[in-house]
Amino acid sequence: MLEGEQKDPAQADRGAVGPIRSYQWILPDVGEGIHEAEIVRWLVGPGDWVGLDQPIADIQTDKSVMEIPSPVAGQVARLFAQEGQLVRIGTVLVEFAVAAPNPAGDAPNGLPPGQSPHQANLAPSSERRVLATPAVRRLARELGVNLQQVTPGGEGGRVRAEDVRRHANAPQPTDDHPVEPVEPVELVEPTAPLASSPGRMDRVPFRGTRRAIADHMVKAKFTAPHVTTMDEVDVARLVALRESLRPEAERRGVRLTYLPFVLKAAVTALREYPYLNASLDDERAEIVLKREYHIGIAVDDPTGLVVPVLRDVDQKSILQLSVELAALTEKAHARTLSVPESHGSTFTVTNFGSLGGRFATPIINYPEVAILGTGRIEQRPIVLADGSLAARPVMGVVLTFDHRVIDGGLAARFLNRVMGLLGYPERLLLEML
Amino acid sequence: MVGTPPNVAEDHLVDWFRWMITMRTFDQRAWNLQRQGKIGTYAPFSGQEAAQIGCMSALRADDWIASSYREWAGLAYFGVPLVQPLLSSAGHPDGGCMPESLNVLPIQVVIGAQLLHGVGLAWASKLQQQGRVAMTVFGDGATSQGDFHEALNLASVMKLPAIFVCQNNRWAISLPVERQMNVRSVAQRALAYDIDGFRVDGNDVLATAQVMRSVVDRVRQEQVPVLVELVTYRLGAHTTADDPTRYRDAGEQAAGAAADPLVRYAAYLTAQGLLDAAARARMQQEAQSAVDHAVAELERRGRVDAWTVFDQVYATRPAQLEEQRHELQQRVLAHRADGAGGGAR
Ligand SMILES: Cc1ncc(C[n+]2csc(CCOP(=O)(O)OP(=O)(O)O)c2C)c(N)n1
Ligand SMILES: [Mg+2]
Repeated sequence: MLEGEQKDPAQADRGAVGPIRSYQWILPDVGEGIHEAEIVRWLVGPGDWVGLDQPIADIQTDKSVMEIPSPVAGQVARLFAQEGQLVRIGTVLVEFAVAAPNPAGDAPNGLPPGQSPHQANLAPSSERRVLATPAVRRLARELGVNLQQVTPGGEGGRVRAEDVRRHANAPQPTDDHPVEPVEPVELVEPTAPLASSPGRMDRVPFRGTRRAIADHMVKAKFTAPHVTTMDEVDVARLVALRESLRPEAERRGVRLTYLPFVLKAAVTALREYPYLNASLDDERAEIVLKREYHIGIAVDDPTGLVVPVLRDVDQKSILQLSVELAALTEKAHARTLSVPESHGSTFTVTNFGSLGGRFATPIINYPEVAILGTGRIEQRPIVLADGSLAARPVMGVVLTFDHRVIDGGLAARFLNRVMGLLGYPERLLLEML
Repeated sequence: MVGTPPNVAEDHLVDWFRWMITMRTFDQRAWNLQRQGKIGTYAPFSGQEAAQIGCMSALRADDWIASSYREWAGLAYFGVPLVQPLLSSAGHPDGGCMPESLNVLPIQVVIGAQLLHGVGLAWASKLQQQGRVAMTVFGDGATSQGDFHEALNLASVMKLPAIFVCQNNRWAISLPVERQMNVRSVAQRALAYDIDGFRVDGNDVLATAQVMRSVVDRVRQEQVPVLVELVTYRLGAHTTADDPTRYRDAGEQAAGAAADPLVRYAAYLTAQGLLDAAARARMQQEAQSAVDHAVAELERRGRVDAWTVFDQVYATRPAQLEEQRHELQQRVLAHRADGAGGGAR
């Protein structure tokens, strides 16, 4: 069907039989109705010989990352896009030099005729197909790690990001046996690097996760008028309570942090102030008050902010929340969150204090209407009720809210309630189901 | 594979395996062809070969088949050329032209609609006393459609020689079967229509073939409908536009792969002394060349003029369609004359 255009037959270096013709490969609609795709990674470079169906690139659509198998057997003559570039469907991406005619399977790279080097991602082939998400595969390529050699640590033999990192950091065996052939994804740097600039600076492509975060932030901040209110709470009782519960939790294999208490306090207050667990449906001019309490948890990751979703927080015990938090955080770092684990939050909590900082002005996780932030707990001088000074553990708490839906008074009442529960955590007992 | 082996000739047993390998090879190639832009959306069937081939193996050459988009392994085994699914996914007007020698309807994408077509065919066959049965094949998701109920009800009321085969591959796109229905099996729904229902391990080609043979015989002789549920698993994505890792975990995927019907059947045949490595390699090579042949055929058929999409709809085109065809032709030709170049898409 899509025959390559007949071009000036340029003789390739290898003494190929028959005339050489050029075949231009056009980026097709690889999803259903997509308009553009991002070139995540070239798996081949100019000069490489490729077999029919051998992977040549990873591309990302709004749906997923997918591997592109070579449409012909031949030599890569040119690549027409950079990694990280967004390319419209219908653009010429690769030019191949192909021996004419191009019978399927006439592979000049030593593969037996007709044999596809690439088993599509459909079913196990006789060779071990490594279970790993596209993100993990990409990480492996970036770190030069052969996935086949990584010991999987994930469920069902899945290779996780941390397994790849561990493998990359492990000392390499210094035997004199040649290293096993790496997966056929070793790459030649494609054409020129991104416009390298004169002077002392680096230019880093703005794409992928970074760009997705940016879009989300811009949308939130330019849609919802943000206001942040801040306060401090004496958490001496909370510190003591956690300390007293910690051994019990540990005995049950759980590391107890402050976050589950914060979540419980937040959800208790959210039930009393439903306008904070809401979103604004602009189109229908309605405020949607949600009766589910799925809390987004901001997780800092080197590759960018991730916000996994802890569902039905109101129905779970502190212990259960601790367990789920640990699992979610791990999955967030490995980028293996499922859809329900990464979408559908109704309110978000950010514990910026874990990295340092007493106060912050967080951006709302749009389309939610408020976000609660907690700062570092530290000993600070405070004035007690009797007028005396004392050193107490104090935590900064902040609430950013969407002023279209929430006014300052409501925000303050909500935050006061949260502070009351954090200052006197035994009150949470009264709210127990 | 347990129980008494069916009374089947050895070359049959091996033939089924040959077809399973051929179709697995085909499926993987078709996936790549989509990624390369040579065909459009494609629904892979890997993992369901045994259920598909086993179920078709019981039919007579002149029986009717009305199936979904995921039945190409069964259809190919029944005699539909391998280029057909490629034409279909490429949007070629001939994609729906099943060979005249077979009574096979074009594939159905509207979920559940083919059940009604199957019932109509069974009814016609009964009225004309042709002795043909009509097999209709559909997914687990299709059982939630109203069409499913209408079809089974009418077939039961009218006592029609219809065989309803549900390919229960556990998923309807991203919806798992537990959330699809509140009953434990599709087969038990037969009770509601007072017809026979069977639940079979569809990844066991022998069990499937054996049950299907007795079902087809009974339906043909007694002129009653039967419901069969083939329990299987879709190893790959729903279609080329889907990414199953978003909704199922690696554990499930691995369990599915472990129950791969090809692996199971190969082990069985090897143990029976009917298959060895050399024979398998030869089959793989034949499969590859059959698939290459189909791809070459697709490329040979090439692009066609857009207005020919009207040609396969009616034996004689009604006036309105004739008018539309003419209009489209004029437009495309004018567009080309403007130097927009190329063939119509
Ligand atoms: C009437 C109708 N509704 C919805 C769709 C969209 N759709 C396409 S495939 C599919 C899932 C079908 O699942 P199942 O019947 O289990 O078949 P499978 O794809 O698993 O073979 C749906 C809902 C459709 N094609 N037709
Ligand atoms: Mg299904």
